[in-house]
Amino acid sequence: MPSLTSTLELFQLPFMQRALIGGILTGLMGGLLGSFTILRQLSFFSDALGHSALLGISLGLLLGINPSSVLLPFAVVFALGVAYLLERTRLWTDALLNIVYSSSLAIGVILLTFVGQYKGGINSILFGDILAVRSGNLWVSALLLGACVLFVGLTLRSQILLTLHEPLAIARGISALTHRTIFIVLLALVVGTSIQAIGVLLISAFVVIPACAARLLSRSFTGYVILSALLGALGAVLGMVISAVFNLPSGPAIVTMQLAIFLVAIVLPRTKLSAV
Amino acid sequence: MSTDVLVVDGLTVYRDTYPAVQDVSFALAEGTDTAIVGPNGAGKSTLVQAVLGILPRRTGDVLVLGQPLSRKGVLPARVRQQIAYLPQNFLFDRRIPITVNELVALGWDSLGPQLPWANRQPRRLAVSRALAEVDALHLGPQPISRLSGGEMKRALLAYCLVHPRRLLILDEAPAGLDVRGESEFYQLLYQLKQAQGWAILQISHDLDMVRKHCDRVLCINRSIRCQGSPDYALSPDNLVSVYGSEFVRYRHHH
Ligand SMILES: Nc1ncnc2c1ncn2[C@@H]1O[C@H](COP(=O)(O)OP(=O)(O)OP(=O)(O)O)[C@@H](O)[C@H]1O
Ligand SMILES: [Mg+2]
Repeated sequence: MPSLTSTLELFQLPFMQRALIGGILTGLMGGLLGSFTILRQLSFFSDALGHSALLGISLGLLLGINPSSVLLPFAVVFALGVAYLLERTRLWTDALLNIVYSSSLAIGVILLTFVGQYKGGINSILFGDILAVRSGNLWVSALLLGACVLFVGLTLRSQILLTLHEPLAIARGISALTHRTIFIVLLALVVGTSIQAIGVLLISAFVVIPACAARLLSRSFTGYVILSALLGALGAVLGMVISAVFNLPSGPAIVTMQLAIFLVAIVLPRTKLSAV
Repeated sequence: MSTDVLVVDGLTVYRDTYPAVQDVSFALAEGTDTAIVGPNGAGKSTLVQAVLGILPRRTGDVLVLGQPLSRKGVLPARVRQQIAYLPQNFLFDRRIPITVNELVALGWDSLGPQLPWANRQPRRLAVSRALAEVDALHLGPQPISRLSGGEMKRALLAYCLVHPRRLLILDEAPAGLDVRGESEFYQLLYQLKQAQGWAILQISHDLDMVRKHCDRVLCINRSIRCQGSPDYALSPDNLVSVYGSEFVRYRHHH
């Protein structure tokens, strides 16, 4: 095991710093939106979008466009499409998402066979490469985080009401459709920007695990939302350190740390739950 | 007409392909308590949801405080703030982490974009006042996951009362309250109506309570079958026309 100083030296390298900041930004965004996502039973959405992103990437490769610039538009179209299908069919969210993601995965893989060799490698699509994060990516993430904080912050009470009981919110004059659409598009953008760093397979952990851990530790809604975002960032920092110290792949290391936080939240509270 | 809080004219609402509410017209004046009665599936909840813009309507006009409800269910924000609504089955996911204080506070703000920490002090005062009014001050810090059905009802009533309103729409509100809670509930409605001029529209299956407390009754079975004072609207003849003859025989013999 490397010494503390050599680990600290590692974090003086610019690419490690970018990776750390990228991880924190992703953790904050995932936790913030994740807190509403799990309560609205959209947990599966980020997973489905992650898997479907393969279709976006193959489309980009086929058309000769840089896959990373296809991802965001693809994510938005995907989100709007899913929102429309949910509204239209009124089927169960998880069943519908399953249809969407398995079929786009299937089509994506078929398209990939036409592309031939992909330089980036399927591995980095599946598990991401947080060490390859550029400062341009960081700016996009920072802007997106700002947008998420503004949206959730300024409409917090509307979001809570919509999460509790939609008719009650509509009776207060909240446009459920508008809010639902904005939320799902933001979530899609967060997942889309984070896929490069985390990979399609693990991205949903960023949305789901910190929020579930925060749920176990909170009783007030505002506290829950803030804690969820903070736990997302904490998981990212711990994961990056672990990955640097033990030379592990960073995406999986972060998810493992999120799991550790979740497990601690399970054994820790109960007494705290009744006291806070 | 300036004292009419709510005017409904020729309202028809479809559920899928079935007209659940047909050509319903009525008006609510300030400071009155009106009951909607009718059998299960008569379209009572559908009616109030269409009035609130929760369900779309096929035809008809709805005016709240003189403002028309648009086809898409939009009312000006300041009118929305004057309305409170308590739905019939307030079933929600009890795993949602929220305290009673937070829930009641949601009723206080008018819901435009605003900083979450704005107006903390006046909001907190209003919340404790509303909780005290429904005798639930002690529930404030509790998470809703721990409330009994009746305690939940009280919390929701406080959510309706936390801001002064002009129109209160209740869908079977007192169901689930204990005896004392129920009588306090009707006292509270009476006071809101008398002292503050609220117009109250309540759906109820408790005909005795309706007789005792309401000024006016709308009997509904898809369309309005009769309306008027409780003595008139709930007379045996009218009840037969709304509920069918079986029901009235049952009530007379038991
Ligand atoms: N979600 C729904 N989708 C489709 N049709 C519905 C739905 N809810 C109710 N309906 C139909 O609309 C009609 C009116 O229902 P509504 O809920 O308005 O009755 P209600 O008078 O409130 O009855 P209750 O006393 O049981 O509450 C019913 O015949 C029912 O079949
Ligand atoms: Mg009903």
